Amino acid sequence: MNLREKMQRRLKLSRPSLRARARPPKQRSPLGAQFTAANLPTALALQCCDACGHVQYPPTELCGQCLDDSLVYRQVGTEGTLLATTALNHSLWEYYKRRLTQNPWLIGSIALDAGPVVLAHIGENTLKSGERVNVFSHTDASQQAVLVAVAASTDMSTPMARRNIVAGMALDVPAHKEGGL
Amino acid sequence: MKGYDGVVLTCPISLGYAKQSPHGAAWFIGSVLRELVKAAGIGKQHVDGFAVSSFSLGIDSAIALTQHFDLRPRWIEQANMGGVSGIIALRRAARAVQCDEASIIACIGGDGAAHRSFEATAANFSSWSVDAAFPYGAGGPNAAFSLITQHYMDKFGARRDDFARIALDQRYNANHYAGALLGHKRLTINDYMDARPIAGPLHLFDCVMPCAGGEGFLVMHEDRAKQLDLPYCRILASDELHNSYADDPVQYRSGWIDYMPALYDRAGIGPEDIDLLQTYDDYPVISMMQMEDLGFCKKGDGPQFVQDTDMRFDKSGSAVNKLPHNTCGGQLSCGQAGSAAGYLGITETIRQLTNTAQSNQVLGARHGLISGYGMVNYDRGLCSAAALLSGARA
Repeated sequence: MNLREKMQRRLKLSRPSLRARARPPKQRSPLGAQFTAANLPTALALQCCDACGHVQYPPTELCGQCLDDSLVYRQVGTEGTLLATTALNHSLWEYYKRRLTQNPWLIGSIALDAGPVVLAHIGENTLKSGERVNVFSHTDASQQAVLVAVAASTDMSTPMARRNIVAGMALDVPAHKEGGL
Repeated sequence: MKGYDGVVLTCPISLGYAKQSPHGAAWFIGSVLRELVKAAGIGKQHVDGFAVSSFSLGIDSAIALTQHFDLRPRWIEQANMGGVSGIIALRRAARAVQCDEASIIACIGGDGAAHRSFEATAANFSSWSVDAAFPYGAGGPNAAFSLITQHYMDKFGARRDDFARIALDQRYNANHYAGALLGHKRLTINDYMDARPIAGPLHLFDCVMPCAGGEGFLVMHEDRAKQLDLPYCRILASDELHNSYADDPVQYRSGWIDYMPALYDRAGIGPEDIDLLQTYDDYPVISMMQMEDLGFCKKGDGPQFVQDTDMRFDKSGSAVNKLPHNTCGGQLSCGQAGSAAGYLGITETIRQLTNTAQSNQVLGARHGLISGYGMVNYDRGLCSAAALLSGARA
């Protein structure tokens, strides 16, 4: 292989669109990695402040309310209210670009009863803003915890039920491309 | 708050807009600096203050650029706050000149647009975005603003043809401004309504085109500007407030509401005296929000206001009320040149008020209001700022 071919191949490999398997964004800050670890054993764990009780999300190092250094992950209620939803027809990330070719990708913002406003994947395309929802965390195909919202009536009480919801969204598998590198 | 007596803004420069560019941010910032000193007829050694805004300087900062450009500033500032960076630079520089900490300050915003660089900026915008926003669909700003837009439409009954009023009138303005990247293309209501869907209610012409470009202006004492024979404008009042209304679950208002009454008081004029308005138009709903919060109409009346208001620079539209708005086309039609987009409204207003705009000149403009908004750290824009300018003879 001469230098020209080598450089062409390198360029190809750096283009996500040519890869056989595309996965959701893997990048997280160290705090995001802690969020993933804390959420492995439970439906939803968020940082809670031992000093003032504030529930903090997105993860930070200090309590956003009292600035105390005593945030610990605790299991919190999954109930919340859907504030707004949107159907993405365009994405900057190859995994979603491939998923988008069939149907738009649904995301929404949810005010959790526990306090914070979270962004989440929407598990059911019938959800409307104002509806009551449950929000749970699950590992995606990049092995990172992401939040998923489903209707309050949908069963998500067991790990198996939650896994089935995520599998139905194909969030736990890479997006494939025939003949990719 | 004290006024800005004796301080003026002059030499507006906009250059280098391109959809993609091989040049880095330093090229755009340095080129603007070169054009600034040329326009002022001074040597660069006379620039003793330097304020810079850029997303794409990478590991360099404003101080590194002083060595690149061989500058000896005794005052330096870096304001990397996207849509408000221009007004922040203006405010800081005006006080510095007023307090004689520097005599001529160059305020410059510039960003490059390398292949796929927007992806990288969006994927690494903030730690909260990396952990809690980007993984959800990786829509970048479109995702956050589609939620804000959808919520605004649900709450106040706004429709897509209301947002179209803003986009269409801005495109008409851009058709008369040579620097606009999309200025050569006409936009009709059918083009707008039939555009490709991007995210929820947002379609192609609701979104800005990321691009490269540089914007800048000089801040100096009025006497100095007269001595150099430069057309200039004055700062009547300005203010800023950040992370306001943090308890609103979804953003539909921001800090302007809190300080606008006092701002108009200090300037001695009201919304009815404004001859041209430059809002930060990353999405039409945000311009509409600013029109409401800046006192042009009541909260929630934005959709009706834009239907009743002609926002073209030459007042040639059919609506009865006239308010030239984003007279060079704004970011929606010029392109969003990173941090330079936060300077666009300022340079355009200086051109208009000094009667040096070319074919998009608003006739007889005396008072201009500029508003800044920016930085979607997670789910909303955190910054708000505003500045009221007047022409020298106003």
